[in-house]
Parts: sequence; structure tokens; C-alpha cells
Amino acid sequence: MSAVDWYLTLATGLFCIGAYGVLARRNVILIVMSLELMLNAVNIALVAFADFLPGAAGRGTFFALFIITLAAAEVTVGLAIVVANYRYSRSVQADEFSEMKG
Amino acid sequence: MPHGDFHPVLFVIVAVWVLVCGVGVVAFRNIVHSAMAMVACFLGVAAVFVLLDAGLLAIIQILLYVGAISVVVLFAIMLTEQQHAKLGFFFNRQAIFALPLTVAAAVVITVILVTSKMPLNGSRSHNVSLVAIAGGLFNRYVFPFELVSFVLLAAMIGAIVLARKEDD
Repeated sequence: MSAVDWYLTLATGLFCIGAYGVLARRNVILIVMSLELMLNAVNIALVAFADFLPGAAGRGTFFALFIITLAAAEVTVGLAIVVANYRYSRSVQADEFSEMKG
Repeated sequence: MPHGDFHPVLFVIVAVWVLVCGVGVVAFRNIVHSAMAMVACFLGVAAVFVLLDAGLLAIIQILLYVGAISVVVLFAIMLTEQQHAKLGFFFNRQAIFALPLTVAAAVVITVILVTSKMPLNGSRSHNVSLVAIAGGLFNRYVFPFELVSFVLLAAMIGAIVLARKEDD
């Protein structure tokens, strides 16, 4: 295994932990936190690829920068929705959001 | 310490730190503990960026994730009433499906990783300087840069509209 494989393995592990959190937990705030873990894992993979793929030097930094910015926007809007919905339904549990169910 | 080398011991310490904190995020019953584990995990990811020779990203990671996003998450936790997760949550109805799916995804990604024939260098390419990053942002990547700033503006307005009281 070369060095890049170690970084990609770490990214895989972190991504799958985040995916488990998104799939298995019910608290919406915790789902958003797990999403952040997944985005961080992708950032690690991108920076590692940019470091080790010939001709891609530095590209990973730009990609990761844009992902971090979009993640900040996503968290802001996502948690604003969670708080607004909490005011309405007094709950942050994902399985209790059944207002739009037919 | 020579520039741009792979340090196995340092990497293993940081990787174990990141993964343990990540498991903490999804496994703690108290969501405030999860948030603290998330902050620790983000710090670990910043350390990974340092190991990958991306110092600017490490600084931005600490500023944005450790500083700003964790505060937003903690505010959301405080603004909502939390009940602790039930004791058997780690193997609840969803986890029965989530755990095999996640493990399967990990196995598939690892197999692809091991069998791939990507032209990856054994050694890394040179680090980009701060000047090169700034030049790239305002020349080659100026369109995504402007797009992202527009998205940020939209997110800001959207958050204000969503969080406003509905009586007016």
C-alpha cells in the first residue's frame, strides 16, 4: 500500500461512519452532523488525490474550499429548517415529521 | 522533518483519532456529547490536511468547521428540546438495514481502491503556494467562486426568512 491508499482508507472509513449516522439515527440535527462527517471524508479524499495524481497538483485545495463553503451554507439552511419545523411540531425526530404524508 | 514525506506513526495517530471521534458522533446518546465529538473529529481532519501539506485548508477547516459550524449546531441543539436517544438505539429498526448497507459500501469502496489502476505517484507532487491559490481563485476558478458567493448569499437570506417569526 502506498501513502495515498492510507489516506483513501481513512476517507472511506469516515464516509461510512457518517453514512451510518445518516441512515440509522432519528435526530435531524445528528443527521446533519453525520452529513458533515461525510463531506469531510470527501475533502480528505480530494486533497489526497490532488497530491498523488500526476498533473493535478493543487486542484484538491480548490475543490475542498468550494465544498467547505457549500457545507457551511447547507448547515445554515438545514438547521434553520430544523428550528422552524421544531417551532411547528415540537420535535426534532425525523420519523415524527409526517405532516405531508398522504 | 523532511517536507512532503509520509509519516506512518503520525498518520496512524491522527487517523485513529478521527475515526474514534467519528464513531462517537453517531454512537453517543446525548447529542451534546455527539457535537463535542464532532468538533474533535473536525480538529483531527485539520491535522490530516496538515499531513497532506495543505496548510491553508487546515486553517480554513479550523475557522469554519471548528469555529463556525459547530457553534451553529450547538445553537440548534439549544434552541430545540432534546430527549436522549433510547437505550437500544444502536440496533434499532433502521440500524438493522443501515449497518449491513454501510459495511457493504465500505467493502465495495475498498475493493475498488485495491483493484484500481490509477496512475498514482508513489511520491507526492509539490505543494501549491498561497499566491497560486489566490491566483487560481480569481482567474481559472472565478466562475465557481462567484457562484459560491451567490449561494452563500441565498443561504443567508434563506436562513433569515426561515428563522423569522410568522406573525408579520
